[in-house]
Amino acid sequence: MIRLENVTKSYSTEVVALRDASFDVAKGEFVFLVGPSGSGKSTLLRMLNRQERPERGAVWVAGRNIIGMPPGRVPHLRRNIGNIFQDYKLLLEKSVFENVAFAQEVIGRPSHVIKQQVPAVLELVGLAGKEDRLPHQLSGGEQQRVSIARAFVNRPLILLADEPTGNLDPGTGEGIMRLLDRINKTGTTVVMATHDQRIVNTMRKRVIQLDRGVIVRDQARGVYE
Amino acid sequence: MLSRIRYTLRETFDSFRRNATLTVAAIITAAISLLGVGLTLLSQHAFDNLLARWEGGVEMIVFMRPQATAEQLQLVEDNLSEQSQFIAEFSYCDEQCSLDEADRVLAGEPGVRELLDENNITTQFKAIPTEGTDVELLRQLSGAFSELPSVFEVKFAEDQISLISQLQSFFGFRLLLLSGFLLLAAILLIWNTIRTAIFARRREIEVMKLVGATDWFIRIPFMLEGLLHGLIGAGVASLGLWVWNTQWTTGVQDFPPNSGFAALVVTDGYEVTVMLIMFAIGALAGAIGSGIAASKFLDV
Ligand SMILES: Nc1ncnc2c1ncn2[C@@H]1O[C@H](COP(=O)(O)OP(=O)(O)O)[C@@H](O)[C@H]1O
Ligand SMILES: [Mg+2]
Repeated sequence: MIRLENVTKSYSTEVVALRDASFDVAKGEFVFLVGPSGSGKSTLLRMLNRQERPERGAVWVAGRNIIGMPPGRVPHLRRNIGNIFQDYKLLLEKSVFENVAFAQEVIGRPSHVIKQQVPAVLELVGLAGKEDRLPHQLSGGEQQRVSIARAFVNRPLILLADEPTGNLDPGTGEGIMRLLDRINKTGTTVVMATHDQRIVNTMRKRVIQLDRGVIVRDQARGVYE
Repeated sequence: MLSRIRYTLRETFDSFRRNATLTVAAIITAAISLLGVGLTLLSQHAFDNLLARWEGGVEMIVFMRPQATAEQLQLVEDNLSEQSQFIAEFSYCDEQCSLDEADRVLAGEPGVRELLDENNITTQFKAIPTEGTDVELLRQLSGAFSELPSVFEVKFAEDQISLISQLQSFFGFRLLLLSGFLLLAAILLIWNTIRTAIFARRREIEVMKLVGATDWFIRIPFMLEGLLHGLIGAGVASLGLWVWNTQWTTGVQDFPPNSGFAALVVTDGYEVTVMLIMFAIGALAGAIGSGIAASKFLDV
């Protein structure tokens, strides 16, 4: 599903965010990217939906080399990739329903599909009955659930999560992890960057560890260390 | 498709509302500059009316009395033909031709025009001089024509045109220059409005890109917004132009007869052409302003 071959990315001569990184992720896998702040986790995730392009190396997603992909194809790549973030990136003046529907509207889904699929995915993330709330009327965990619903509503092949529990207390974070696990069980490949030791240790999934841009460990059913 | 159109329109009008002050400023500036362009074109056309009978390089006109006989006309024609050294070509503008011309020349004085018909209109021989023939020479030649029977008078373009065409180019150039600057200001204002709109919606744009909206999908509402600024500006300018033209046309009728302003009006529907031109320029200005903003601030 995802393959990196000797990927190097630097923002300037001093800042090398990724150095010669290579790994494979199979369809349906759940992978933690761990490492201290600044080790290159976010850069790696942004590489996978072509928000960044490496200087060297190849990135394959769903069987395509996305580095040489013409810009016009990039939106279609991104329709297969859901994104969630530490800060949720919700649209504050839109309701829960509208935030999720937005992801379908802007790729031209017909409104009868939206009316059917948005409530279903809100049900899945546990937000049934809160469709009309605005983001500020929700707790942090609920806001993250909205963002997961938005990322998942188009049924992506891959879900990229950048420190999704970073702003949440441990109990709420665990709830989010259970939700991501459920989504992973539907066959969606999940790549999650985190430095939350507890979560990594309890989930026991594959762990790829980064240190100053270098992959220093790639371990099945790993722990944080 | 339908939902896409609905989305686009909703976003465009939301943006109008959120950005009301800048939007109004952009539209007003576009309207004033377009009105300037429109008035220039309109006044040029009115001046052209005034000079209608001198079109095509005609330098001398021999006006014939209404009841001139065929022999008398022939006599003038023969005389003109003899001067082929100085007169390159000439043509006879008969009653119908002269009446048609009066429609334009007397457009602002319908009262006077109404008095004219085939029996009392002066017909004309229009002469185009050969290359290098001095007007003074023509003037000397004309001594011979003015004495011929049934010749009413002989007139020269030089006496009629110089002041008018000076006025025409004086107004035309300066008004157009002013309008050009204003149009530039309008484009900049549209550009700035769209830039502000893009900035106000940067979070949405970020999300749209992440979930895979195409560049054009993101861009079109903004471009449409700029286009609408231009078109609404043109609409306002058209209204202004119509009011102006109507008022001027009625105003001219109250001027003393033969004041020279009689033809300085547009009654032949040319104002509609001018309005269409204003809409085209408005749309272009809007597209340029918003297009530049969208391509500069919306890159992936
Ligand atoms: N847009 C950017 N411009 C310049 N440097 C950046 C940019 N994004 C990240 N970096 C640098 O790249 C390195 C890796 O950052 P990042 O991928 O955000 O790490 P992490 O997500 O693991 O904290 C850091 O040194 C960071 O300062
Ligand atoms: Mg990060």
